[in-house]
Amino acid sequence: MARTSERFPGVEWVGDTGVFIKIDEKRCTGCGNCIKVCLGCCFEIENKLARIKSLDECMECASCWYVCGEGAIDFAWPPGGTGYRSDWG
Amino acid sequence: MMQQEYDVVVIGAGFGGPVAAKKCADAGLKTLMLERSENPGEKVISGLTIPIYGFLFGPSFIRDGNPPIERPVDGIRNYVIYDMKAEDIETVELRIPRPLSPIVAFGYNAYCKPFCAWEAEQAVNAGAELRTSTTAVDVIREDGYIKGIVTDRGEIIRSRIVINCEGSQGILAVKAGVRGKYPPQAISLADTYDYECPKEVIDRVFGHTLRFCWGFDELKIAPPLGHGNGLMSWPYRNSIHWMQDQCLALDNGQVPNLRRLFDEYHENITTQLPWWRDEIAPSAKLRARMWEGFEIFVGLDDRLRNMPNYTDGMILAGDVAGLESTGLCDGVPTAWFSADIAADVAIEAITAMDCSAKFLERYNRRIKAHSIIQWAITNNGRWNLRKAQESHDRKELRARVDYQFGPGILTHVGTPLVKSILRGIRKDPFVIKKWARMFLRYYYNWENECSSQDRLPGRRKKKGALGITLVFFDALVIVFSPINWAIACLLEPLAGAVNLLIKAFRPVVELGLRASIKMEPLFNPLSRWMIDSVKQADPSIFVSGSSERFRGQPRKDRVSLS
Repeated sequence: MARTSERFPGVEWVGDTGVFIKIDEKRCTGCGNCIKVCLGCCFEIENKLARIKSLDECMECASCWYVCGEGAIDFAWPPGGTGYRSDWG
Repeated sequence: MMQQEYDVVVIGAGFGGPVAAKKCADAGLKTLMLERSENPGEKVISGLTIPIYGFLFGPSFIRDGNPPIERPVDGIRNYVIYDMKAEDIETVELRIPRPLSPIVAFGYNAYCKPFCAWEAEQAVNAGAELRTSTTAVDVIREDGYIKGIVTDRGEIIRSRIVINCEGSQGILAVKAGVRGKYPPQAISLADTYDYECPKEVIDRVFGHTLRFCWGFDELKIAPPLGHGNGLMSWPYRNSIHWMQDQCLALDNGQVPNLRRLFDEYHENITTQLPWWRDEIAPSAKLRARMWEGFEIFVGLDDRLRNMPNYTDGMILAGDVAGLESTGLCDGVPTAWFSADIAADVAIEAITAMDCSAKFLERYNRRIKAHSIIQWAITNNGRWNLRKAQESHDRKELRARVDYQFGPGILTHVGTPLVKSILRGIRKDPFVIKKWARMFLRYYYNWENECSSQDRLPGRRKKKGALGITLVFFDALVIVFSPINWAIACLLEPLAGAVNLLIKAFRPVVELGLRASIKMEPLFNPLSRWMIDSVKQADPSIFVSGSSERFRGQPRKDRVSLS
């Protein structure tokens, strides 16, 4: 069953992506750059460190990976056939 | 798990992958195309005008085929906004005039999903195998060579060569150690909206012309902080695509709060921009919002541009090779060109039984020798435009918009464009017939919402005046082909002077452009006749010369493998 979002009409998220973005707590400085660029609100700060809040609205753009100067974010493609899809891209 | 073996594995069924897969399959190679989404194209997001040079000089199956397009485009109208509230707005326009427009197009707008699916279908028809819902997670390395890939299901797929068309992030290419992660200053995040809107409203407001907006930072129009790449709107058939994009970091390394700023800018522009607010907003309905990152400024940095695009056993094509246009912000033509070259090199490498980096180096040489690719990835007009947005200098902002998206573009695109036209004619003087047919066929398809291969019920089968005109045109092309060929051979080495000539005679060129727009009403009857003739024509007249390839049959020059 595909999931939808009120904030992002016209997009569906299908299947179980698992946690395909990982944060290395030892490297994270809690700068919050990942939070600033993530339009899907996938991150939050807890105990002064970034953590994944939810990947439910992730569009796999990898912006979090690019802006993490400390290399604390590991980004991989989610399993085939899962994640976002749209007819209107 | 059983190993699977192929000659070629192509990663990605976006815009580039199917081009490489089709060419390899046409050559008789056992080709597998992997796509991580369930259907090709549904993870591809772009506001999309594919510039005409992609169709003219790209893969012949696209030029001679019937890809699904949303609207032919005849040019760009730029709104240079100095003060939105005071409506102090200037327009800068570059447009193909009637009667050529809208049949002779500057480019074609398209949704990514149907277009990529159509391309993938052509590759499959040529004999390539398509496997969707499959992510390539790693490469197989033996003695330093890439010998295939591993999928997310743990399948081991061996191949003689891998053509990687995975897209701009290049996660597999980074993992394989071929590319590195780009700095955030080189990446743009494209916040994309799709609005449903009645066709008659789009016809009236946009016609066939794109609308771009540019303004100083504090106006919060083109997002944000002097690093706004712009705000662009594309008319489709019954919808408007709308995109604001912004680099992930500023020159000082600061990361802007895009989550907040994109919402703010979108609100500003849709409620304040006069033509959107008054003419579009009352009948537009938001249908989709999505986003994607792309490597907009990679080509401008020597280190990033010169990152390897091949290694032992693997070639990278399209966005993963950093080939996004730094100027027009389009990646499709360069993906087509590079995937086409990648397939040529893969076929040569397999034939020579040598997929070493040393052999594949010819791919890099051909990419560097491709005049349009090099123009696309080294053009700094857009980079300078963002600087002008910081300057608060009206003349500077207008001049930069003009240079990149107005008539000024002719002073830098002239040479690669003319060189490609002459090269095309030198290689095949009859290509002019195919180019003409392409414009007509695409327009026919757009008007009739169909493919020219589908015969419409009740449509006349007579060739009519347009058919006779085309026969006459063909005769001229054939009669003059030796002369055209000779002229092309003679002038191609001199094409480097075209930009200089346009610069030197810029006032004359501009006068000509203005005059052609002013004279448009005179051509209205001819324009109407042309549009009606194409719309009503028997589509068989739009198939020329290359009918064998047009029907998707394999080429005769198949590779024989020992």
